[in-house]
Amino acid sequence: MNPFTGIVSTAYEMYQIMYPTLTDYAADDFSAVPALAESWEESPDKTTWTFKIRSGVKWSDGTPLTAKDAAYSFTRVIEGDYEQTNYGGYVANITKAEAPDDTTLVLTVSKPTPIMLHLAVYILPEHIWSKIDGKEVRSYTNEPEGGEPIVGAGPYVLVERKKGQFIRFKANPDYYGGKPAVDELTFRIYTNADAVAQALQKGEIDFADEMQANVFNAIQGKEGITTLNAAYYGFNEIGFNYGAALADGTEIGDGHPALKDRRVRQALNHGIDREALVRTVLAGYGTPGSTIIPPLYTDLHLEPASPFGYDPVRAGELLDEAGYPLGEDGKRLDKDGTPLTFRLLGRQESQSSKQTVQFVKGWYEDLGLTIDVKIVSEDTLIELNGEGRFDMFEWGWVVEPDPDYQLSTFTCAQRSSKEDGTIYAGLSDSHFCNEEYDALYAQQATETDVAKRREIVKQMQQIVYDEAPYAITFYYDLLQAYRSDRFTGFVNQPSADVAGRGGPLLFQFGTWSYEAIQPAGAEATDGGGGTGGGGTGDSGTNVALIGGLAALVAGIGVLVALLVRRGRSSDEDVE
Amino acid sequence: MSPGGRYALRSIGSGLGTLLFVVVFNFFLFRMLPGDPIGLYTRGRNVPPEQIAKLRAELDKPILEQFLTYISNPFSTTINSARFNQPVWSLIWDRVGATLLLVGTAIVLASLIGTWIGIRAAWKRGQRFDRMSTAVTLTLYAMPEFWLGMILLITFAVGVGFIPGMFPIGGIISPGVEAASVEGVLNIAWHMVLPVTTLMLVYLAEYALVMRASLIDEMGQDYLTVARAKGLMDKQVRRRHAVPNAILPTITLIFLNLGFVVSGAITVETVFSWPGLGLLSYDALRGPDIALLQAIFLLFSIGVIVANIIADLLYAVLDPRVRA
Repeated sequence: MNPFTGIVSTAYEMYQIMYPTLTDYAADDFSAVPALAESWEESPDKTTWTFKIRSGVKWSDGTPLTAKDAAYSFTRVIEGDYEQTNYGGYVANITKAEAPDDTTLVLTVSKPTPIMLHLAVYILPEHIWSKIDGKEVRSYTNEPEGGEPIVGAGPYVLVERKKGQFIRFKANPDYYGGKPAVDELTFRIYTNADAVAQALQKGEIDFADEMQANVFNAIQGKEGITTLNAAYYGFNEIGFNYGAALADGTEIGDGHPALKDRRVRQALNHGIDREALVRTVLAGYGTPGSTIIPPLYTDLHLEPASPFGYDPVRAGELLDEAGYPLGEDGKRLDKDGTPLTFRLLGRQESQSSKQTVQFVKGWYEDLGLTIDVKIVSEDTLIELNGEGRFDMFEWGWVVEPDPDYQLSTFTCAQRSSKEDGTIYAGLSDSHFCNEEYDALYAQQATETDVAKRREIVKQMQQIVYDEAPYAITFYYDLLQAYRSDRFTGFVNQPSADVAGRGGPLLFQFGTWSYEAIQPAGAEATDGGGGTGGGGTGDSGTNVALIGGLAALVAGIGVLVALLVRRGRSSDEDVE
Repeated sequence: MSPGGRYALRSIGSGLGTLLFVVVFNFFLFRMLPGDPIGLYTRGRNVPPEQIAKLRAELDKPILEQFLTYISNPFSTTINSARFNQPVWSLIWDRVGATLLLVGTAIVLASLIGTWIGIRAAWKRGQRFDRMSTAVTLTLYAMPEFWLGMILLITFAVGVGFIPGMFPIGGIISPGVEAASVEGVLNIAWHMVLPVTTLMLVYLAEYALVMRASLIDEMGQDYLTVARAKGLMDKQVRRRHAVPNAILPTITLIFLNLGFVVSGAITVETVFSWPGLGLLSYDALRGPDIALLQAIFLLFSIGVIVANIIADLLYAVLDPRVRA
């Protein structure tokens, strides 16, 4: 559980349980709220940020937690080598981190930086981590040995980790936000989606994350279980080859030239029945997609004024205009008179991807296009994307509350790069490149006025929407369920009041639910789980250990399914 | 040197040759996979581009240099997985125990029970036990492991009708239970019941069918008539004469399966969330994590080769014709 080595999103969930950050994302609307820092101030010349650190905070081993630990953690990333991997993006503009006294942290920046209130850099105990040098940190596991918990300052401390099985936490009595009501927290790993639902019904676990729609439907209405299709920050898209090139502009690949025409890409946007995809592929758990910042970020999301509705007639007109008329056999013709043919790539790893490309193929063929569907592994898709050897593909992103990263994926600089003859993919899989967009990107990156930045971000979404390098298919829901007969008090992020529909209850940006949940009534003392012999009751034994309070066990769904592309918390199995 | 010794040496020698080939072949095989591990692992995280370039440079050493490092010691503890940042052999070591426990137990039980069923069915050929056991084993033989696993899971872990869901749904041990205690051992045993039963039923079917068929072949032989004519009891004829001659194909099969002891249970591991090598192999394929893949496949190959050598040697003991 070393925060410098995590790849998957569940790992980041563990880090935020173990270690504090300066600020948090509010539970209701993602705005910046105090965490380890009580207050903050940007200097008038916008070159320094002063954070007032809470006083009297202790690490779980009793050592005082001061601004020096914070300065140490930031300095370690700023001056570090491998430490840059996970957190370098946050400190790119920070040149210095200093602690003039125990409650003051001063960060010096090279230019105005809006992300300063959302620095997801974990504050680590200097007295532990200073013993682990820059080389050792790469393979340091940070796991309990000999029963000694890992020193942290979050709501829970890590007490046990069994690779591929479970991760166990105990409530931290010294937590600055107060000791959580639930004494113990165990994350279990299941490799089988049905097992997660069954374990929930049986009471082996109390919370199930990332459930599949069919399993989710099956447990709906069961006594003692509350289900939630949470508004989520992920979207999927059909991406088009905008004109594959290296970051320096050198053209690469063999994308179809027709896709360089905006009218064609817009026609392809009109050609998708997004409502039908939500209904079929998502079993209704999602909403039709539009722009690259999902609607649950109410402040930032742009709802396009003239959306690309499903309109085959309009799509046909646009294709006619672009010079791809219908031939006699009902097939549209390319400039050379052969049928207009596009390759469409779907992902092997994802059932929804395979279904989506089949539907899209059908709709596009209704427009007179010829579509060759090919299903490839995500590894292969990244390679084909990078080399520009594709016409269209299906994939998705998970968008974090600060839009910078997501916006960067459409900049010219994120197109592919070439080193020693090998072409590497950047983050831009459509190879979108637009001068105006890039200028706005640079502008938002130094705009510290929240309202002004918001306007720039909306303009950028409009450009991407009009230029249509993507046809965003849907924003999918996150399907979660929990034992409401055993635990209450979960908090949605964002709240239903703000976003219209509540967001996830766990696996949030922050530890809101972990701090708020309570055992439900006295009957919760019977751990529910183990009826088995030999003392095997899964949560039964925990209950015995912690004297009457039941333990929360979160089942982590099919962890293998979603490796790539999550927001700050990049993805899946915790290793 | 005795003919037996020569034979043993020859078996071991050819095993080593195969191993050497596998070591070299693996190196090139996995480098043909598509992918950009660093690109995949850093995607979705705010990683500075310079850092990505640096990490890539570490992985993309010249192919000859990579080969020499690897070939000089494929078991080196300093080879790190690109994805987990841990030495590959320590990652494998963490998982291999669970897989060996699961598959080993299943194979031992399956060979004992399967052979017994096969012998009994053949000896009482056409009678009720034979008809029933043949029907059951044929059905089990045709059954996909993951499906059988799911059925057992739903029936005995979740519970159906009057059957209580008494076994755990997944995992190898309950959180918070110390493995090195009486309670821990019982806990693990309880977790093993369903996955071991699933694997055992599938293996058992194969052993029973092969044992039955080869014993029936032997039963018409003249030497059995001679044995009976000598006045031996039916049980002695079966135990001392028929079975030793008929068991060779089953032994082959058992050892063939034993070779896959580390790699063969991936589907069952997935159904029961068993923390063995299955999930690790799948993770290694993403990226791909070449160092980890190489090590896992090397281990799989060693398993098969060693099991084959043992089978060869055992053959020599069981069947004098082989030694000649």
